[in-house]
Amino acid sequence: MQNRRSILKASVGPLIVPSYVLGQRSGRVAPSDQVVMAGIGIGARGAHDLSKILKFPDARFVAVCDVRNERRETIKSTVDQAYGNRDCKTYADQFELLARSDIDAVLIATGDRWHTPLSMIAAQHGKDVYCEKPCSMSIEESWALAAAFQRYNRLYQAGCQRRNGANFQLCRELLRSGALGKLKTLYANVGPSVNWPPLPSRDWLEGQPLPPPQVLDWERWLGPAPWRPYHPSYVQGGWRNYYDFHGGGILEWGSHTVDLCHWAADLDDTQPVEYEPVGGNTGPYSVNCKYANGVELVMRDNAWDGALNTGSCSFRIEGELGWVETGDKTKIEASENIKPLLRPTEPAPMALENHMREFVTCVRTRKTPSANAAAAANSHVTCHAAFIAFQRGRKLTWSVEKREFTNDEVANRMRSRAIREPWRI
Amino acid sequence: MAQTPQTTPAVTAAKPAPPTPPAALREGAIGTLDGAGLQKILTDPAASEFQKAKACQRAGETGATETVPALAALLSDARLGTYARYGLEPIPGPAADEALRAALGRLQGNLLVGVVASVGKRRDAKALAALLGLMGSADAAVAEAAAAAVGSLGTAEGAKALQAALGRATGRRKMVAADAALVCAERFLADGKRAEALALYTVLSGPTMPQAARHGAMAAIVREETRVGRPGK
Repeated sequence: MQNRRSILKASVGPLIVPSYVLGQRSGRVAPSDQVVMAGIGIGARGAHDLSKILKFPDARFVAVCDVRNERRETIKSTVDQAYGNRDCKTYADQFELLARSDIDAVLIATGDRWHTPLSMIAAQHGKDVYCEKPCSMSIEESWALAAAFQRYNRLYQAGCQRRNGANFQLCRELLRSGALGKLKTLYANVGPSVNWPPLPSRDWLEGQPLPPPQVLDWERWLGPAPWRPYHPSYVQGGWRNYYDFHGGGILEWGSHTVDLCHWAADLDDTQPVEYEPVGGNTGPYSVNCKYANGVELVMRDNAWDGALNTGSCSFRIEGELGWVETGDKTKIEASENIKPLLRPTEPAPMALENHMREFVTCVRTRKTPSANAAAAANSHVTCHAAFIAFQRGRKLTWSVEKREFTNDEVANRMRSRAIREPWRI
Repeated sequence: MAQTPQTTPAVTAAKPAPPTPPAALREGAIGTLDGAGLQKILTDPAASEFQKAKACQRAGETGATETVPALAALLSDARLGTYARYGLEPIPGPAADEALRAALGRLQGNLLVGVVASVGKRRDAKALAALLGLMGSADAAVAEAAAAAVGSLGTAEGAKALQAALGRATGRRKMVAADAALVCAERFLADGKRAEALALYTVLSGPTMPQAARHGAMAAIVREETRVGRPGK
């Protein structure tokens, strides 16, 4: 008998899926037609993602993997409580979880250093992936990620949920409708340097005694990142703003807002060809970029929740005829001539639910998600290139075709980072 | 990943002060040194683990060729081995290739796995024979890393060895060999060797192959055979 699982396993191209497979006739979803999901590295953000999955009748979350015992048990408790059973399995080793043939898709919400290697390992095991951003630690990882998901014909959704936020979608529509006129400049706001400096620290914290391995596996926590002595601060979220674990404010927030700019302006398949850093590590700072078609992209830290009060992760589109700007408060600001076109949009939390909904639906129908691996690669390469320009303190030029900087060999060497053994991409 | 929910609160106020790195663990002037200065740290027995780690990273970014012997010496250090590869991987020229290739014969375990990965990343064709030998290693991690590196070289000889490995391997080892063969096929395509790529994809689409790789190969065949402008169309 044909069901969603048999179709999913055999899929190598576009398919027309009958409605009975989707469970749309009865309004209920048979267990064999549910998308079976698991999670790896589910912290605060991942738990937010998980809360959406648990609401979907056509998804079933069955297992969690974490190097921290406390997180494994917390997530299991959350899942079991939601389903009214004790079925959620826990794993310390991702390979054991990924070896389960009943799991269709995984949610990856580890620290950044794990995102690309784990996503690629999941693809190798035939899993579809929803992965939090930033999705990669380098330009090289970004391309490797996209190549892996094409190689295995698996689906990837970056956690760029604002692509499914109604206020962001309206801004995109205004640009595409021609109401804003010819596109001139995109503004991708990034977190202020007071908390998110563009240049993360290359220092180490003083080593502290390791906790027992059953509490934390430090070697596995480090994973692909170079070795350093243990400090509890890293594990509690303090890994951010350390270079070996993090790409600074530009990557952290650019992976949100540059992604929005690319999506809105139909730039998902390219990157800017110029990157000019302005300002210093304590801000205000910007990286002014230009695409081959002349459109400008400005990453800036002085408008995060600025005068327009549009909220965090805001972006702005300026065309020859008008401008529009929105952020997480869902409020949309616009030039006077555009204001008659604005309309109320749904609450901000719907973006994440819509985005996860899109992913689960795509897993069932084999349609490509909006924040797919190729799109993520292009927006992340843009952020990494801007980050490298800021580190180099000079204007860099970039060849989209050759995937290399054309005026700085040091910058080219910074396109990749060595990965700690035994991991690889 | 982002730590913030969808409605991120404004972050204009400074967060509580995080722990501060002690003076001995701050990069400081190491981040400005030239090759000679880096070389001095890397060969100084009194230099700390931290100083050497930072010197390795800067050596790679600046392309300091003169540091290659010192970096090569650190490849066998359990903690600094990754940093040594961080230095060697992007340094241009044959000296870094030779240093990594030489290490293939003297390292074991995880450190060897790392060097194999670096050799594959640099696509050092002269290392093919050594890598083919390591594909038969009793250490599964070494054998798997070697297969991956062989795939990344994209050679006919490597493709043949990967096919042989696929014939005898099982479980995870077979999955890794199949992944390497898929990468090898992609290299063939990039090099204009379409027939060789399709032949490899055809092998990988067989019923005894790991399911994920099999589906990947099938999709690649469909993609190639339906590509507009393909040869003969």
